[in-house]
Amino acid sequence: MATIQVSEAEKVYIMHGVRDDSRVDGRGCEDYRHMEIETDVVSNTDGSAKVSLGQTDILVGIKAEIGRPRPMVPDEGYLEFFVDCSANATPEFEGRGGEELGVELSNNLYKVFNNRHSLDLRSLCIRPGENCWVLYVDVLLLQCDGNLFDAMSIAIKAALFNTRIPNVHISEDEEGGKEIELSDDPYDCMRLNVENVPCIVTLCKIGHRHVVDATLQEKSCSVASLLISVTHKGTVTCVRKLGGGSLDPDSIFEMTETGKRVGKMLHVPLMELLQKEENLGRERTKVGFLA
Amino acid sequence: MPVDTKRIRGPELSQSPLLFVSPVSEVSSSSSSSRQGVRGNGDVRPVFARCGLVSQAKGSAYLEAGNTKIICSVYGPRETERKDETDMKSGRLVCDFRLAPFSCPKRGAWIQGAEERDLSAALAESLQPGACLHRYPRAQVDVNVVVLENDGSVLAHAVTCASMALADAGIEMYDMVLGCALRQDGERCLVDPDLAEEQSGAGENQGRVAVALLPNLNQISGLQADGEMREDTLTAAVRTCVEGCHKLYPVVQQAILRAVKKKAPPPPEK
Amino acid sequence: MAAGFKTAEPLEYHRSFLKENCRPDGRELGEFRPTTLNTGSISTADGSALVKIGNATVICGIKAELATPTADAPDKGYIVPNVDLPPLCSSRFRPGPPGEQAQVASQFIADIIDDSNIIKKEDLCIGKSKLCWVLYCDIMCLDYDGNLPDACIITLLAALKNAQLPKVTINKETDLPEVDVQHKRHLQINKHPVASSFAVFDDEVIIVDPTTEEESLATALITAVTDENDQLCAFHKPGGSSLSAEKLQGCISRAVTRNREINKLIDRVTESIKSTK
Repeated sequence: MATIQVSEAEKVYIMHGVRDDSRVDGRGCEDYRHMEIETDVVSNTDGSAKVSLGQTDILVGIKAEIGRPRPMVPDEGYLEFFVDCSANATPEFEGRGGEELGVELSNNLYKVFNNRHSLDLRSLCIRPGENCWVLYVDVLLLQCDGNLFDAMSIAIKAALFNTRIPNVHISEDEEGGKEIELSDDPYDCMRLNVENVPCIVTLCKIGHRHVVDATLQEKSCSVASLLISVTHKGTVTCVRKLGGGSLDPDSIFEMTETGKRVGKMLHVPLMELLQKEENLGRERTKVGFLA
Repeated sequence: MPVDTKRIRGPELSQSPLLFVSPVSEVSSSSSSSRQGVRGNGDVRPVFARCGLVSQAKGSAYLEAGNTKIICSVYGPRETERKDETDMKSGRLVCDFRLAPFSCPKRGAWIQGAEERDLSAALAESLQPGACLHRYPRAQVDVNVVVLENDGSVLAHAVTCASMALADAGIEMYDMVLGCALRQDGERCLVDPDLAEEQSGAGENQGRVAVALLPNLNQISGLQADGEMREDTLTAAVRTCVEGCHKLYPVVQQAILRAVKKKAPPPPEK
Repeated sequence: MAAGFKTAEPLEYHRSFLKENCRPDGRELGEFRPTTLNTGSISTADGSALVKIGNATVICGIKAELATPTADAPDKGYIVPNVDLPPLCSSRFRPGPPGEQAQVASQFIADIIDDSNIIKKEDLCIGKSKLCWVLYCDIMCLDYDGNLPDACIITLLAALKNAQLPKVTINKETDLPEVDVQHKRHLQINKHPVASSFAVFDDEVIIVDPTTEEESLATALITAVTDENDQLCAFHKPGGSSLSAEKLQGCISRAVTRNREINKLIDRVTESIKSTK
């Protein structure tokens, strides 16, 4: 994991701040940093989004390809995740340095997103047992300043919202052979229902309290954090304890409670924002990366 | 597709016969509110645990819960392999989790898959708070877990088994680490599920929870939950898992005590 | 004192025992360690067996899958044996791809299966050039304390004897296999080969069933595989000190008696499992 060195005095300062509900950058314990979202930023993907959360920058691109369904679930498509830890983000990722983190992140993303609770995987099926859509979700970490999971989940949700999969028509020739035809019309496409796609809230235990959206500095003061993925209804789809420390049961209960509350609140403005951006249509001026 | 030249290879494509089982012969599982047999929903399966079975290892343990069979061995502490690690003040816990190819209904590959790597990481994170790693600077302790048969709740039992092996190896620890899993199926909650229970079920409020607990310090060192659950259900599930861990504790204590007595027989009384 | 002598001068330590015609663990030179066998304990496998020779523990699980036969042998199935030495079984093995020793062991087992015809590969064919069984015999060492080949072959043989395959028919209309799990049958075992391993000390003393320590100190290792008709199936002596023909003959005769003992053991265990069911 990308880490930074924090001196003992700084740690004490941060921990005291958290105790008094006033963090180094002036936020309260349950506040997110300033967030920017833009969708449809990479034109040669089927869906993309860029999210910046404070100094954390993440780009997600989704490519849809036709593949074979998994033999155990013939009537469902599936998602593939790949997290690329670019050496731009931190020099630690140079060479194979980012690989371990990338695998860890993508493993967790599978658990959170690749299940039928979050996305209707059946809608990705074309012909049961024969063809289905496979969504390749590529996550690129451009800058890391803590709280990767939350930013990634928001970016993935936005990119899934933005994804347009061409409609397919199955034609049959005389010999019974089947052929798949993709629609040429860019407006003749299928959208994904992202209503149930969860957002991840990571809570860092610092001292006796826990904070949302921890920066790298704050993260180095905490020994254990809890990752909670929450749907818009407030149901919890995934929980993981991360980090080398342990938590007492009561703080876990408090943290899930906070996680649920914060996560539920995250969904509403996010969906509004995405809808608003789409309504702008082609008029929208693209901001891109250099803003 | 990389070709594995270091093993005897079979045909390029082979399929599990389970895919072709005619649907008639399949027995439909009853979805009654209680379990089949004598086990209640809140009961853990009877556990058989032994320490010190692998003669070559510093410490080892074997655990059997129902049909789930797990063996673990611990080597070390020995000099760490990774020199670039910035934190040299404390030791490293290196976990290797494997499902034997014949351990699941469908044959697994020899090469460690994503699921096994994931379980290795989860195991390491659950065990780490229990071990006094600062006592072993510049060293690493290897924990190797092999699941011989997977009949549900493997991660939870692997945690228990591995902490027994660590204790058997004489690694200094703050506390034991015990694992317990649970399957939430609607309003019904099944402790220590077997493989069929783990996979069945559909509808609302579905989930799987696994908790690792340090019983004396009352600290949760590992928590994993998947599915879709309400928050109150999740909280209740974690509580039930903690209770389940406590039920296991006497068995684990007995096994360790036995191993210690065997290693150092009590002095003869005069 | 004895412990110090053992660590400082392991070879001298062993020699002092061998002079008296016995070994550090109390065995005679020609004595095997107690061998125990347990079959069918892994219910997720189609056949399984666990063998312990002294401390050395090896488990074998057989998984059967369906595949199409190769073009040059349309009426034959596949048997794919693999030996794995995971880091669990000894500190000398590291995680990752199998090392030299595991590869050699896998190939040795594969050769014995092919040459001695334990199972006729034709028996594994379901439909000519259409469908056949693949038997994945995955052998895993759980405690590495010497004598790997013996343990591997015993566990393989016992697991094959224990294995049961479901009945499979090919549906004429769809051309897809249909599996009937209610009707299962055992495999037809043609040959019962058993291996006996020997270690040579100081170019002359031959001991049977070496432990890891004895293996590492030995000047040569020998494995002889014989079947129930006292025929020699395989003889493996990878280099090391040279031996007279008489001594090798002695090894083979010991292997012949060992074969009887082990086959009796396998039969007894198989019987006892049948009767408890």
